[in-house]
Amino acid sequence: MTNSVSRREFLNLLGAYGGSSAVLSAGAALGLMPLASQATEISLSNQSSNGKSVAILGTGISALVTAWELTKAGYNCTVLEASHRAGGRIFTVRSGTVIDEIGNYQRCDWDDEPHLYFNAGAARIPSIHNSVLSYCKELGVELQVFANESKTGWVQDDAMNGGKPVRNTDYSSSMTGFISEMLAKSLSAEEMDSSLTESESEILLGMLRSFGDLDEDMLYRGSVRAGYRSGGFLDHGSKKDVIALRDLLKTRLANNVMTTTQEGSGSGPLLMQPVGGMDRIIYAFANRLGARIEFRSPVTAVMVNNNGVEIAYEQEGVPKSLKVDYCFNCIPSHLMSGIPNNFPMEYIEALNYIRRGKAYKAAFQAKERFWEKENIYGGISWINAPIRQIWYPPHGIHKEKGVVLSAYNFGGANFTEMTQEQRIENFISSGEKIHPNYRQMVEKPITIAWHRMNHMLGCAPRWSRSRGGWSEHEEQMYTTIRQPVNGRHYLIGDQSTQHSAWMESAIQSAHYALADFDQRVRAEEA
Amino acid sequence: MKRFITLAALFFSAHFTFVVNAADVGSPADMSDRYCTTCHGAKGEGNIAVQAPRLAGMEGWYLQRQLENFREGIRGTHTDDLQGIAMQSMAAKLTDASIADIVSWVGAWEFVAADVTIEGNVNRGRSAYQICASCHGTNAEGNEALGAPALAGQNDWYLLTQINNFRAGIRGTHPDDSFGAQMLAMSATLRDDQAITNVVSYINTLQK
Repeated sequence: MTNSVSRREFLNLLGAYGGSSAVLSAGAALGLMPLASQATEISLSNQSSNGKSVAILGTGISALVTAWELTKAGYNCTVLEASHRAGGRIFTVRSGTVIDEIGNYQRCDWDDEPHLYFNAGAARIPSIHNSVLSYCKELGVELQVFANESKTGWVQDDAMNGGKPVRNTDYSSSMTGFISEMLAKSLSAEEMDSSLTESESEILLGMLRSFGDLDEDMLYRGSVRAGYRSGGFLDHGSKKDVIALRDLLKTRLANNVMTTTQEGSGSGPLLMQPVGGMDRIIYAFANRLGARIEFRSPVTAVMVNNNGVEIAYEQEGVPKSLKVDYCFNCIPSHLMSGIPNNFPMEYIEALNYIRRGKAYKAAFQAKERFWEKENIYGGISWINAPIRQIWYPPHGIHKEKGVVLSAYNFGGANFTEMTQEQRIENFISSGEKIHPNYRQMVEKPITIAWHRMNHMLGCAPRWSRSRGGWSEHEEQMYTTIRQPVNGRHYLIGDQSTQHSAWMESAIQSAHYALADFDQRVRAEEA
Repeated sequence: MKRFITLAALFFSAHFTFVVNAADVGSPADMSDRYCTTCHGAKGEGNIAVQAPRLAGMEGWYLQRQLENFREGIRGTHTDDLQGIAMQSMAAKLTDASIADIVSWVGAWEFVAADVTIEGNVNRGRSAYQICASCHGTNAEGNEALGAPALAGQNDWYLLTQINNFRAGIRGTHPDDSFGAQMLAMSATLRDDQAITNVVSYINTLQK
């Protein structure tokens, strides 16, 4: 049986997606897509003499950036944090870390080694997130390259290959080959010839041949890119069997496998992480802010008036209060809904509208770096199960142990409702489908259900409720919460952006608020 | 010598905490079970965004019974009771002493009537409420002797959810939930969504 794709099969498929003209017109957008985020920079007027005071609520990265910039500019800052730790959803777990999940208190007791850590929230820094990178540089946070993909990682779906995992490279080489073959066939058709010049066709066909590793007949008959069945060094290598297109299409995991290294809003072949854990960024800010941060100080009321903002909070159960000129607030909107305030109705409506994300992660200390014995040194295995992904640490190569991310699900409600024991059993039984000795490797598992974390109760905020994009009403509410209340209270954090879940968004929200604030201060002084 | 080591350890650990770990002042010893305000609001006034009801003003005996019900899995174990499940996993860890501590802590919070968010036909609600009044009181002030909590002042969206949960058998079906079973039976007298909205709208007019 030949595994190549019939022309009729392909043209039908293409027709279903709008035909060649649609493909070509989509192609016209090439080169027009903006890639890098605009680095936002902030330059506040120096206020060392006027003694203006600012309260910053929460210690997510937007709050720390705000406090740091305002402190540098000479403002008198007080940062109130409800929890025992700073960072919000930038949270690294290592030996001794307390995981303050409501109803599921955990204390991590992994071996105390610098490479044995786990980024339970933010974990990857794309090359195009300029504001994050710029603070890492300013604060001296050492970065290293993070491997987001390993072609030796696995793809597993019970519906494919009898449930046996296949290597990412086997899957992606075959898929790339078939896609190239299909396009090459379409190009030779007369109806396509009219759309491209002879020279354009030649260049495109040459690229497709190379992209898909097609043979002289422009057919995909396997590629050494999937690795050799045998040989390859002392002896000639022999190619592996091709996985038939129909078999590749038994899983939807192609959506992940084929796109992990696409540069864009948050992915890419080259990502970064701070050496030792993402919270190194938090420590860098927190160490500079020092005693300006007051921990275990939950806010109990925020009242904005004509001259400033009055904040009520508690420390060890004792009510305290703070009167400041301005307030920047990154408390999650769904928690702010439960804190007495005097915000305008439409502002409260917007706060109540934003939904809380349900992301879930799990991790364990592996007795041995079993993945290295399978030629994996980083990257992700994709699995069609609630755990979705397994990440292998790109750091600590060849050491005795490592920390494996054993689940990462963006809509992790099902995990949230499980007991700790059920969560652990769930991730082990899924992981066993990829790594036969998985269960024996698991030491000291931990789970992170962001929906239940104390003082968080959610992961990345979700604004839009339809797949079709933001409604007019949602855009209006977004405009509302980006305006300061009375020119005194600013809502910051990724909840005040249209691209949540990234540190870059949170930082840019802080810069946006600070720019507005600075303008007002300058206007007052003029 | 031993004393010296202890002092040195103290010095170095404090030093480490200050310099390297300024972002984390946590230690397991100082965690308590007083988690309530994260979900139920900074002053226990309820939080619609996470669907957690008002606790401020709730009767101590009722709060204690519900915490015990959650802890024993009598409430919050039905698969469709998403908020109940969240509460159940919290309460499952509570000791009798923690429950007593929480009840006394919450008892000190000031009661402020909840905002009205639901509008229905108050007149129709009044007549439907007459059945409810036999247990919950004419002014929805509650009746400890009958095990019926106050309804006045509670978040109306929460009352709506709970009546719907009783009607759907999401609450009140556990064999050990005798008060819940009674409420489940009574909730059947409210025939449709409009009837529930009406009765909640009437409760909104009552003063605790």
